[in-house]
Amino acid sequence: MMMTFTLWDIIRNLAISGLLTIVLSVAAFVFGGLAGLAVLFARISKIRAINASARLYIEMFQGTPLLMQLFILFFGLSLFGLDLPAWLAAGVGLTLFTSAFLAEIWRGCVESVPRGQWEASTSLAMTYAEQMRHVILPQAMRMAIAPTVGFAVQVVKGTAVTSIIGFAELTKTGSMLSNATYQPFLLYSLVALGYFILCYPLSWYAQRLERKVHAPRTN
Amino acid sequence: MAYHFDFNFVPDYAGMLAHGIGYTLGLTLLGGTLGTLIGIGGAISRTWNVRPFAGLYRCYVELFRNTPFLVQLFLIFFGLPSLGIKLTEWQAAILAMVLNLGAYSTEIIRAGLQAIPKGLIEASESLAFTRWQTFFYVMLRPALLKVWPALSSQIVITMLGSSVCSQISAEELTFVANFIQSRNFRAFETYFLTTAIYFALAVIIRQALAAIGRYAIARRPQA
Amino acid sequence: MPLVQTKRLHKFFGKNHVLKGINLDIQEGEVVTIIGRSGSGKSTLLRTLNGLESIDDGTIEVDGTALVAGQGDLRALRQKVGMVFQQFNLFPHLSAGQNVMLAPQVVKGTKKDEAETIARNMLARVGLAEKFDAFPDQLSGGQQQRVAIARALAMSPKVLLCDEITSALDPELVNEVLSVVRQLASEGMTLVMVTHEMRFAREVSDKLVFMYEGRIHESGHPQEMFNNPTTPEFANFIRTQN
Repeated sequence: MMMTFTLWDIIRNLAISGLLTIVLSVAAFVFGGLAGLAVLFARISKIRAINASARLYIEMFQGTPLLMQLFILFFGLSLFGLDLPAWLAAGVGLTLFTSAFLAEIWRGCVESVPRGQWEASTSLAMTYAEQMRHVILPQAMRMAIAPTVGFAVQVVKGTAVTSIIGFAELTKTGSMLSNATYQPFLLYSLVALGYFILCYPLSWYAQRLERKVHAPRTN
Repeated sequence: MAYHFDFNFVPDYAGMLAHGIGYTLGLTLLGGTLGTLIGIGGAISRTWNVRPFAGLYRCYVELFRNTPFLVQLFLIFFGLPSLGIKLTEWQAAILAMVLNLGAYSTEIIRAGLQAIPKGLIEASESLAFTRWQTFFYVMLRPALLKVWPALSSQIVITMLGSSVCSQISAEELTFVANFIQSRNFRAFETYFLTTAIYFALAVIIRQALAAIGRYAIARRPQA
Repeated sequence: MPLVQTKRLHKFFGKNHVLKGINLDIQEGEVVTIIGRSGSGKSTLLRTLNGLESIDDGTIEVDGTALVAGQGDLRALRQKVGMVFQQFNLFPHLSAGQNVMLAPQVVKGTKKDEAETIARNMLARVGLAEKFDAFPDQLSGGQQQRVAIARALAMSPKVLLCDEITSALDPELVNEVLSVVRQLASEGMTLVMVTHEMRFAREVSDKLVFMYEGRIHESGHPQEMFNNPTTPEFANFIRTQN
């Protein structure tokens, strides 16, 4: 089958697949954020078994390639007779990946709340839950916003890896069009541009937020 | 469950796995070293606003940090030949690793340079150091020392990210894994083992970098 | 010919005219203390003397090396002018000895053995011979400041600038630093200091310079100035300094 693509066809196809990239990113970020919150609480739990398993979870995801995580999910579940469609494997894989990284980012924020805040709220007879809810988390959240937005960029870029397990997002579509048109330089440049359009505003915003958080601290 | 996990294939492919590990380590070592050097150059240019490098670096950093490594790799390996630049898998993989890490390390090292107290720079100026001497003897080591953990993490992240180099048939660890599983049809075991190897490599590289930080950069006797 | 001479020195921070035509002569071996309220320009004046602050007009000449309106050989000037800072500013990645050795090696190209000999002598001079291998974070503030003095002396400067060198120290550590300065003064070192230690300034200075709103308002021998302040601003200043 021979097909000819005009530049317009190419751009339209890339744009449509770009929507898939956006949907996957948003889903992974939202579900990963929720799961990450659970992992965070496990990670800062005082119960050792819970704390240690959360730590192991985080280290496993941070210490192995995203591609391997996707492969294991994809091939591992098929051992149990579960044949995940590519989009589901991509979504679940990225969600788990995101949850581990966000939990670790947020843990850093919780731990950077000065010890005096814990002591002060303890001396006011607050329970652990009250301390968290009213004293620690509000301060940690303020610090967490910039790195969290920054990590969103990693999630968007991470979606490109799901092309390898066959999910037809932006990169995969770019590859297919490149094979069909024999214009790899044009196609991959356009694909790169697509990611740049998605990521740059997030990076820019994250940097701006970071400056804001650090602004009041002179010297 | 009727499935039996079977790792008996490992000895047959040990040599190939070793090759893949070596390839991945080679990518990491070369990528880490050259990427850090690019980062030092970028950090100097941006800190001192050296024209035209400061502007070029700015564009480079933003472009590479806001696009996926996989797409950078494809652009280099599949795209550049249309401009007459034909690279082997190894060259393309290395180039992508170096450029990607260079963009991150530029920002990381720049943050380290900015964190150097102004007083230290004034002290070296008052001792009649040139700007270059100030940079080399007074700023570089404390800056690297300060950002070494961040730089180490980035190098590990880049090493893990190199697994997508399998997609241009660079014979690194994931490529070997893909090959093995296409022969033995033991996809899960193969990828499980490979993942474990990556995990071990990440731990080892992190330790090695920490040791370099302690002995080579801090260069002081342990208290 | 004075060792240090400034003529019609002017300095602006944006629209703020912080030095308004400073003429100052410092003879070899003289100990000069610059005093004044914060914002009077005293630290700025000190920092112009080795080019840490650029000047907008006027000339600075130290032992034959001149800066004219900021133009001139800064490095040559700085080799003749040592400086000690309020915050010590020791190089944190180097031991005390290496801190002292670095500038002679890098700037003057002194051989390592020779630089080490110099460093050992200089550290001995400030009473820290045994701290050669200690790192800054292993030293007290007073010791760090003495290493900083040794570091400046190792370049054998013609004149040493001291910018509030005891202000960041705990009170009990001030004396060990002041006694080093006292000793330098008695050995004939040319010193220019900015300090809040009035008693010390009166004791060691040959000349006191009172800065007020960017000008040298009054200067002279410390005892005479303190006994007979000629301007109400200086009289007022002494009254508020205990």
